[in-house]
Amino acid sequence: MVIVIIVVFLIIIAYDVQGFIRKKERASAVIIYLVLMGISLVVSVLLASGKRPSSPAQWIEAALKMVGVVK
Amino acid sequence: MMEKTQISWIQLFLLLSGFHIGSTVLLSPSAGAGRDAWLAMILGGAGGTLLMWSYAVLSMLNPSKTLVEILRDRLGKIAGTILSFLYVWYFIHLASLVFRDFGEFLCTTTYLETPMVVVIGLFAVVLLYTVNSGIEVLGRLSELLVPVIPVAISIISFSLFTINDFTAVLPILENGLMPVLKGAFGAITFPYGETVAFLMLFPHLNRKDKLKKTVVISAVLSTLLGLLVFFRDLFVIGGDLIGRSTFIPHLTSLLIPEFNVEPLLDINLLIGGGIKISVCVYAAAKALCQITGVQDYRGFTRAVLTFAVVLAIWAYDSVLELFAWTQKVYGFYVIPFQVLIPLLLLLLSLIRKGKPQGEVPDKEGNNNAEAVNA
Repeated sequence: MVIVIIVVFLIIIAYDVQGFIRKKERASAVIIYLVLMGISLVVSVLLASGKRPSSPAQWIEAALKMVGVVK
Repeated sequence: MMEKTQISWIQLFLLLSGFHIGSTVLLSPSAGAGRDAWLAMILGGAGGTLLMWSYAVLSMLNPSKTLVEILRDRLGKIAGTILSFLYVWYFIHLASLVFRDFGEFLCTTTYLETPMVVVIGLFAVVLLYTVNSGIEVLGRLSELLVPVIPVAISIISFSLFTINDFTAVLPILENGLMPVLKGAFGAITFPYGETVAFLMLFPHLNRKDKLKKTVVISAVLSTLLGLLVFFRDLFVIGGDLIGRSTFIPHLTSLLIPEFNVEPLLDINLLIGGGIKISVCVYAAAKALCQITGVQDYRGFTRAVLTFAVVLAIWAYDSVLELFAWTQKVYGFYVIPFQVLIPLLLLLLSLIRKGKPQGEVPDKEGNNNAEAVNA
C-alpha cells in the first residue's frame, strides 16, 4: 500500500513539476507546490502504515485552549 | 493576472445557494437548540445575511480585486501575503471538512463496506476535472444541477405529508434563550461565514451592480429552504430525536413508507458538497496563484485537492471526533477568517474611499490632482 501511494504521488509530482518548468514559472510556486505534495505524501505514508500523526485540528484546539477561548 | 472569464448573477446566485446547502443538507448547525432550532436559524440567517452583505460591500469597494489582492493592497505586501497564506489554509481545511462530512455520510449509510478514502478520492478526481474546467463551467454546472436540490427536498417533504405532528414545535424556548443563541452563532459561521471564499470569485461577476442583491437573495432563500427542511424533520421525527440524531434528514427520509428516497439525499449532497469543495479548492488554488505570481491557477489544483483529501482523513480519527471538534472549536477558530479580517478590510476600504483625492507633484514640481485608486 505504501509503495502504491509513493508511486502515485511521484507520478503526479513529476507531471505537475514538468508543467511548471515548461511554463518557466517562479521557483516560489514550485516550492509551495512541493511543500503541499510533500506533506500530503508523508502523512499518507504514515496513515497507511498505521501511525497517525497529531493533526492540525488538535493543534488548533490546543492553541485556542492556550489562549483561553476554548475550555 | 485576472482571468477574463465571467459568470452571470444567476450563476453566482446558484453557486452561493449550492454552497449554502452543501453540508447543511445533512448537518444542521443549529440542531443543538433542539426543537427551538428554527429560532436559531432565523437569527443566524439574519446575522449571516448581514455578514454576506458586508463581503459584497467589501468586494464592491475593491472592484476587480480578489481577497488576496485586497489583503495586499490594504495591509501591505508582507502582512497581506501572510494572511493570504492563512486563508489558503482555511479554504483547504474547509474543503477537507466537507470531504469528511461527505465520506462519513456515504460510508455510514450507503457504502458500508467501502473504505472512506476510496469514496473521497473518487469524488476528488471528478472535482479536479470540474475545477480545472474553470469558473465558467462551474457556473453553468450550477445552473444545471442546483435546481435539482429544492426539487429533491420537495419530493421528500411531500412524501412525508401524511406523517406529521404539528405540535412538535411546542413548547417554545423550553430550555431558555442560550441554546438558541448558541445555535444562531453556529449558523452564522456555518454556512454563511464560509462564503468568505467567494471573495475570490466575486470579481468574475459580469454585472457588479447586482452583487449585493444576488448575495442577499441567495442568503434569504437558503435560510427559507433550511427552515423548510427543519420544520419537515421536526414535524416528522420530533424535537427529541432532532437534538440527538447525526444525519437528521437521512433519518427522516427513512420513514417514508413504500419507497426508498435515500438516493435523493445522496444526490443533494453530491451537488451541494461538490459545489462547496470546488469553490474552496478554486479559491485556494487562485490565492496561491496570485501569491506566487503564477499565470494559471490549474498548476495548484492537484496539490490543493490532494492535500484536502489527505487532511480529511488525517484531521479526525472518527465521526465523533469530527462532530465534537466542529461543535467545540470550529466556531471560535473561524472568527478571524470570517469576521475579524473581512471587517478590518471593509473598515480600511471605507476609510480609503472617504479620503480626499491625493495630489501628486509632476516632474516640474507642480501639484496635479490624481485620483487615488481604491
